[in-house]
Amino acid sequence: MKDCCGPGYASPAEAINAPREKLLYTIAIYTGTGIQKPDYLATVDVDPESPTYSEVIHRLDMPGIGDELHHMGWNACSSCHGDSSMSRKFLILPGVRSNNLHIVDTATDPRAPRLHNVIDGAEIKAKADLSGPHTVHCLGSEIIISFLGNAKGEAPGGYLQLDKDFNIVGRWENSMGNIKFGYDFWYQPRHNIMVSSEWAAPNTFMPGFDLEEVGHLKYGRELHFWDFEKKEPVESFYLGEDGLLPLEVKFHHDPDSTHGFCGAALSTNVIHWWKDHDGKWQWEKIIDVENELHPEWPIPLPGVMSALLVSMDDKYLYVNNWLHGDMRQYDITDPHNPKLTGQVFMGGLLGRAPTVNGVEVTGGPQMFQLSLDGRRLYVTTSLFSTWDNQFYPEIREKGGVMVQIDCDPENGGMTISPDFIVDFGKEPNGPSRCHEARYPGGDCTSDIWL
Amino acid sequence: MMLHRVTLSNRNGATYSVNGRRPLLEQLRGQGVDLPYGCEYGGCITCAAKLVAGNIDQRRQIALNNRQIANGYVILCVARATSDITLEIGVESHDNLYRNPFLDPLKPHELKADIATPEEL
Repeated sequence: MKDCCGPGYASPAEAINAPREKLLYTIAIYTGTGIQKPDYLATVDVDPESPTYSEVIHRLDMPGIGDELHHMGWNACSSCHGDSSMSRKFLILPGVRSNNLHIVDTATDPRAPRLHNVIDGAEIKAKADLSGPHTVHCLGSEIIISFLGNAKGEAPGGYLQLDKDFNIVGRWENSMGNIKFGYDFWYQPRHNIMVSSEWAAPNTFMPGFDLEEVGHLKYGRELHFWDFEKKEPVESFYLGEDGLLPLEVKFHHDPDSTHGFCGAALSTNVIHWWKDHDGKWQWEKIIDVENELHPEWPIPLPGVMSALLVSMDDKYLYVNNWLHGDMRQYDITDPHNPKLTGQVFMGGLLGRAPTVNGVEVTGGPQMFQLSLDGRRLYVTTSLFSTWDNQFYPEIREKGGVMVQIDCDPENGGMTISPDFIVDFGKEPNGPSRCHEARYPGGDCTSDIWL
Repeated sequence: MMLHRVTLSNRNGATYSVNGRRPLLEQLRGQGVDLPYGCEYGGCITCAAKLVAGNIDQRRQIALNNRQIANGYVILCVARATSDITLEIGVESHDNLYRNPFLDPLKPHELKADIATPEEL
């Protein structure tokens, strides 16, 4: 990287050739576990040459209990690569339940991040009428965070804008249009487009998952396309039964591409969208994971595709089936016709892989982060404290795990690394649950190119 | 001011005195009881406890479905005591709070209050 430049990389191709990650950050929660300790940011050593490889080497406690840390994001990414005054220094950790935003300095000592500042959840409610923070993205010097509810936890919420010094600017969007729910979002600035998805109101999903509420339209089934500059939605796609709980959305990393993907968690489908030759946005279902019968249960079990990731070279799509217990790799060279090229089981409710590398896996593959070179996929097992408690109650005693899956970007294929496993059931304060992971140098779910 | 006695059945019967105006979570934490909590507005279920005896007012809660209410759960961050009460607190009290919806569906009258239909007798 040149000295003149800001954070990240000039292009996805340059990111792929970045040095291998040596540290990884993941959040770990005690909220909802019965252990009266704060959630924390764990630093995991992922350098095979290090004596502490595959271990948690630092824990940064949040100031209070009950945040439920979940997703996180950087203050800056490749979107301000040309701005030498910016640096990827701070990780923003929202608390879904407390509404607090924790700003963590990861640059002063990358192995031991320190708390820089906390934006109080009550201040966000008072100034922006928002609660239930989820996805964090930066664009240039601005930071935008999706919130799933208003101050009372009612949908659809909106977007909080922070300046580069983490002052609250206010609401980012000019209008929520007819959007019913919020969740994840991603944008592709060269096409002036943002796509957002739908989970549910905080008051609906936070207490747990009542399947019956899906039929009462308390969970989402639409994707929304935004005029990014005007900051308002311009078109919505009703996905129907094919798109129940459309959660994670990702565009291709190639900033010229209009192709993107969404995992509909409950339908367990992948939705693909793109702009056609007439300049119209189109969508189609490209992957449909069938429900499986559990021998003792009355209702067939969906996979629950709660996350989705595109490799930096845009060649592979990774998806999970949290309840079935498998991670899948699809070759999406032709995004209309994905080909299954890899599949591994770890945990899940169907009993196909109860242990991995000698550790009992409670939960199933849930969140994952891919190395920039596409060769190492780090997978964790907890979804959300209340939902974990419903589907995998033993996770209270066993905690979460982090597994590494080795991926073959040349020929396709996945295998579980025999050398790596981090058992969060053995944490000093008792079993915790790890969730989203990020690398200090940027990763496959944070950087957007202008 | 009218005071009520709170007995914690799974904390060796420890007792505390609370008023009927402020939420139980705030008053019990103020007296040193270590309790889980999250949103602090009645929406997230993290602070749920089981009411073993007595009466409370939790009209402001929006987290519980009718089955959870029937099983005695109360949301401490918004619930107020209206009599002397006995509570079981913490996740030890959550044995009936969570259920796998694919294994154990709710009946229409067991949904949350805003979408529940009356029980057919």
